Amino acid sequence: MFYVSMFFQYLSQYLKTRLQYRADLFVEFFSDLLSQAINLVFILVVFGHTNMLHGWNRDEIIFIYGFFLVPYAVFSAFFNIWDFNERYIVKGELDRILTRPIHSLFQIILERLELESLFGALTGLAVMFYAGSRLGIEVHWYHPFLFIVFVIGGALVYGGVFIMLACISFWADARTSLMPMMYNISNYGRYPVNIYNNIIRFVLTWILPFAFVGVYPAAFFLGKEEWYWYSFFTPVIGIIFFVSSVLLWNQGVKKYRGAGN
Amino acid sequence: MNNAIEVQKLRKEFKAYSSRSGLNGAFRDLFTRNYKIATAVNDISFTVKKGEMVGYIGENGAGKSTTIKMLTGILTPTSGQITVNGMNPHKEREKFVQTIGVVFGQRSQLWWDIAVQESFRLLKKVYKVSDQQYDDHMNHVIRTLDIEPLLDKPVRKLSLGQRMRCELAAALIHNPPLLFLDEPTIGLDVLVKLKIREFLKEINEKYNTTILLTTHDLTDIEALCERVIMLDEGNVIYDGPLKNLKETLGEGKELQFQLLEKVDLAAVKHVTSGMPVKWEFDKKELIFTANIEDSDELISQVIAAVAAAFKIKDMKINETSTEEIIRNIYEKGAVEVG
Repeated sequence: MFYVSMFFQYLSQYLKTRLQYRADLFVEFFSDLLSQAINLVFILVVFGHTNMLHGWNRDEIIFIYGFFLVPYAVFSAFFNIWDFNERYIVKGELDRILTRPIHSLFQIILERLELESLFGALTGLAVMFYAGSRLGIEVHWYHPFLFIVFVIGGALVYGGVFIMLACISFWADARTSLMPMMYNISNYGRYPVNIYNNIIRFVLTWILPFAFVGVYPAAFFLGKEEWYWYSFFTPVIGIIFFVSSVLLWNQGVKKYRGAGN
Repeated sequence: MNNAIEVQKLRKEFKAYSSRSGLNGAFRDLFTRNYKIATAVNDISFTVKKGEMVGYIGENGAGKSTTIKMLTGILTPTSGQITVNGMNPHKEREKFVQTIGVVFGQRSQLWWDIAVQESFRLLKKVYKVSDQQYDDHMNHVIRTLDIEPLLDKPVRKLSLGQRMRCELAAALIHNPPLLFLDEPTIGLDVLVKLKIREFLKEINEKYNTTILLTTHDLTDIEALCERVIMLDEGNVIYDGPLKNLKETLGEGKELQFQLLEKVDLAAVKHVTSGMPVKWEFDKKELIFTANIEDSDELISQVIAAVAAAFKIKDMKINETSTEEIIRNIYEKGAVEVG
């Protein structure tokens, strides 16, 4: 309960900061909209040239892509930890975090909220509706609920993997270039996994389970019954990865060496 | 329980790798690294009673900050035991930090972009302080530190002195019984320093707040702390009252005379013959300096003898300053106090 109220406290603080810089807010709003529009055009242009891919047709691929954008937007809004190493370890900001009576990871998530990323979810929804209507997907009453569960599951998978990566900084001093690489790998989850070779498919399912952010849950809405098992596994994988990342974090904090001053 | 802090055989080691020199060395480092274990804090033990104000001093790199970080639960000790406010700082971190206040002079605790009062409001929620408690306590703090006009300004627009006062107020929002200050007066002007000192004294008296403070400014320590713990290369080299340190190590007093007439050193020496005095003469400034033991009687005797024989233009009695004492200690690296 305390954590929920803290979330809203930080949220209102975040909004206040944003509202303080009016010009900045508008510029950001427009640039976000613009970049999402470009994204949308890009997707349609790129996929305009594909027809069938291992049993997936063009609209299905676009649908998966659209679905992927939603958990990704949620992830970017709440787990903005790309610069964790630089900001918190090298500069020693974690000192401050650790002297406050809230779980350290939760505090960092709260401090680094980036809600404007949620615009990406709108693009994602637009893409899904576009592709969905062309495919003639029927919307059932339980779809929105499952959608939310899958989105949360996918965002947790993403969050878990990137928190684990951030944890590396607790053990190794040097800044790692793993984050950008992982970002590239994560993009593979946007496309149907069975187009890849078996090893990559295994990795994307069980080791860096980015397939659970895009293809697997989206397959459910596309009515691909052979994938249903994987679809329903999304929240489970999300929780497993997220919980283990938090456990790893708790171990890592003990190894924190601080920055000299 | 009367002790705020109990530390036993506390040790912190850092594993650092030492790089070889040159490009050749860099290639070798790629494959095998030379690890060196550096001991930042070397089996130190001390206790601090509730309500004490303790100065924690030492040169740069002596291990002060490392100790403070272990005491506040930021770092995990390599070995040894810490009990602060009856808790183990690292194990029960979230519960523990509720009972302490921390100010790091070189790092801001406040949010950069938002107004000071917004930071306070958020911290108030973080520490679960009720409105009534907040009003009772913070109104007083805000008035004493004179930060009322700063409350609606964003932190990034404050000067260092203004920010420091706000930091101090922020650390006290939950009225902690124990306060850690790591170089709270670094870079501040005399007036702000005085204000902060007065304020610290006041809360110490009012709430019996225990204060542990590190600083390089010894006047801070002289003004605030009865007790000092001195650290050198990770070892406690002195732990006791500041007064003792001065009495035992303050190497006597210095009497300086400027005389009206031209007198040579031998004549002055002759006047005080028989007394244990060491004379020095500064030819440029024409100052005679007598180094003598710190005894009231001897001082008056020397002054009387000199005054009887010559006409005095100016005279000074100097005490060895704390700074000098401490410099001496660092140079010797050990203290022997009876």
